[in-house]
Amino acid sequence: MSSISTEAKVGLFVLAALIILAYMSFRVGEYGFGLKKGYLVNVVFDNATGLSKDASVQIAGVEVGRVEEISLKDGKAMIVLRILPSVELEKDVAAKIKSYGILGDKYVDIVPGTKGETYIAAGGNITRTGQQADIDKLLSELGTIAGDVMKVTSSLKNTLGGEEGEANLKAIIENTRSITENLNRVVTQNDEKLNLMITNLGEASAEMRRTFATLNSIVEKIDSGEGTIGQLVENKDAFDNLNQTLASLKSITEKINRGEGSIGKLVNDEDTVDNLNASLKSLGKSMDGIQRYVSKSEQFKTFLGYRGEYLFDGGDGKGYFDLTIRPREDTFYVLGLVTDPKGRLTMTDSTDMSTGVTTRTETWDKDGLLFTAQIGKRFKDIALRGGVFESTGGVGIDYFAFNDNLQFTFEAFDFDSDRNAHLKTYAEYRLLKHIYLSAGWDDFISNQGGDSPFIGFSIKFEDEDLKYLLGSVPIPK
Amino acid sequence: MNKIAATVDNFGRAILENIEEMGRILLLFLSVLMWMVRPPLKLRLIFKQMEFVGVKSIFVVVLTGTFTGMVMALQGYYGFKMFNAESLVGSTVALGMTRELGPVLTALMVTARAGSAMAAELGTMRVTEQIDALYVMAANPVKHLIVPRVIAGVLMLPLLTVVSDFMGILGGYFVGVPVLGINSGAFISNITKLVDLGDIYHGLTKAAFFGLILSLVGCHKGFIATGGAEGVGRATTEAVVLASVSILISDYFLTAIMF
Repeated sequence: MSSISTEAKVGLFVLAALIILAYMSFRVGEYGFGLKKGYLVNVVFDNATGLSKDASVQIAGVEVGRVEEISLKDGKAMIVLRILPSVELEKDVAAKIKSYGILGDKYVDIVPGTKGETYIAAGGNITRTGQQADIDKLLSELGTIAGDVMKVTSSLKNTLGGEEGEANLKAIIENTRSITENLNRVVTQNDEKLNLMITNLGEASAEMRRTFATLNSIVEKIDSGEGTIGQLVENKDAFDNLNQTLASLKSITEKINRGEGSIGKLVNDEDTVDNLNASLKSLGKSMDGIQRYVSKSEQFKTFLGYRGEYLFDGGDGKGYFDLTIRPREDTFYVLGLVTDPKGRLTMTDSTDMSTGVTTRTETWDKDGLLFTAQIGKRFKDIALRGGVFESTGGVGIDYFAFNDNLQFTFEAFDFDSDRNAHLKTYAEYRLLKHIYLSAGWDDFISNQGGDSPFIGFSIKFEDEDLKYLLGSVPIPK
Repeated sequence: MNKIAATVDNFGRAILENIEEMGRILLLFLSVLMWMVRPPLKLRLIFKQMEFVGVKSIFVVVLTGTFTGMVMALQGYYGFKMFNAESLVGSTVALGMTRELGPVLTALMVTARAGSAMAAELGTMRVTEQIDALYVMAANPVKHLIVPRVIAGVLMLPLLTVVSDFMGILGGYFVGVPVLGINSGAFISNITKLVDLGDIYHGLTKAAFFGLILSLVGCHKGFIATGGAEGVGRATTEAVVLASVSILISDYFLTAIMF
């Protein structure tokens, strides 16, 4: 080893160290030894948080440059990008600030523009920018979502938690069980019919297979050029015609695109766009109107009802036929007919001319119908009514309980100086969806012997057709 | 009373001595600069020192660098494993080596190897009056003895640091990829992504400073040695301690200035 001189040893060492240094520099360096290549492009972002000088500029994940400079311009972040000379950016490229993963460094991502556009010159601007949802925004949105979820779960807890919820759940399960039992019964009872149906289906499918076979043969014929359709499909001329048609269509659309001809002018004219916009706006307004109307109709409800009452003392029956119109939740109108076993009372005063005595004759018309016409307003669980009750003036009050399933009613009408007023009170309970049972006391302070307890049942249902018919009738608010 | 006065006296003298020492080292530095630009440069002497400081330190620097990188990879792995970010081990090793551990550990190793030798050599020459003989022969000892050593220190330390950096990263790679099972592609791409040229160059600048410090301190301590063999030994010890402490202290300020 003594043959190697001191200088050679030092030289070798220096050389080796410099080679290692050069290797490391190339691996981590920016374009080798920090040499500045490429041209500059400006882009303005609203917010460049986290972006640093020398941050990567990428297209589709491939590095094409570095951030050269970051400065403030008119309250926005002005970024100068150094782009590799081999990369050309179209005029309509868009720049976005993105980050590697959630916590990673920020970089500028460039979305390529349209092919064939002109390129941005050195010192030019990228005009289209975007902002990626950053972690702060994401977290705040997550917070809102979590709040919503919490609201839902807490309301679920309120609904399902507690004894009431448990009971409801139990009831639901019971109902489900009874439904499946019913279903089971239905299926067992209709076993034979089901069998028959399946057999029929089998026959039908066999028939279908034959049909398909026929179809298949038709298609084959067409394919081989038999018949008119077959010739049409196989004929080369038909194709040529089609091609020509398409070509002329293409030339027409091109003309339109260039603004030639009336349609072209129409399409390419700015006024057309404005007009269209205006039309769309007014259409929007009309839609709003329709929306309002529909929602009014949605609110608008009409009910038809019949109630029959059996009076114990007289052994008679009373019938009520009602049409209830409810334009809003809290207002309603009732129109109806009542059949009373007593009939309609008509009084006639006749004066004997010789004696001057006036006699009043009261006649009951057994077949006479009585009328009901009331207006009502509802305040939460209490509804007040007033108007014509059984062809006489009166007032009524209803109290609703258990989600309107139970109704207590008190009515007072037929105020006449000769006799006590007609008072009536009853309770009505919803037995099924449309069936109600009622019991009460009719005319209980009567001095005419008309008081009687009664029971009754009634049918009420909502009529959709009447609703739309009446929904268009203007109703005083 | 006398005792207190003596304590104050000693304290003040210690401070004064330290200030004097700093002043002397600075003056030595200035005369080195002066003699450096005055031709002729003794190239043979410089190369000899370069071989002594640089080439002969390669083995110890390679060993330190490799094992430092290996242990950093091992320690970093346990930390990053908690965040499932094992692939960052590579960049941690690379950044740590290039910015800090490469220059500092290399400087400390060279101080121990060459700095001490400089102090001992010059100290022996001083106590055996060889330096005085140089003066008699009208050959300036600063030019002949100290300038080549300082030049060798300043030039060789960055190169040794490059070796140390590289071996450290290699050691980290060896522990990280085959032993700990980190993905090699992610390991390397994270290094190239997160390490800048600046990290390497700043580390090398620091290394050059450290080379200046250790060669100046070593030469100075040897140059002013007195009192025979005992004095040479003391000069050597003081040179290593002062150079090591100065390197670590100046490292903080250099880092604060550069990064």
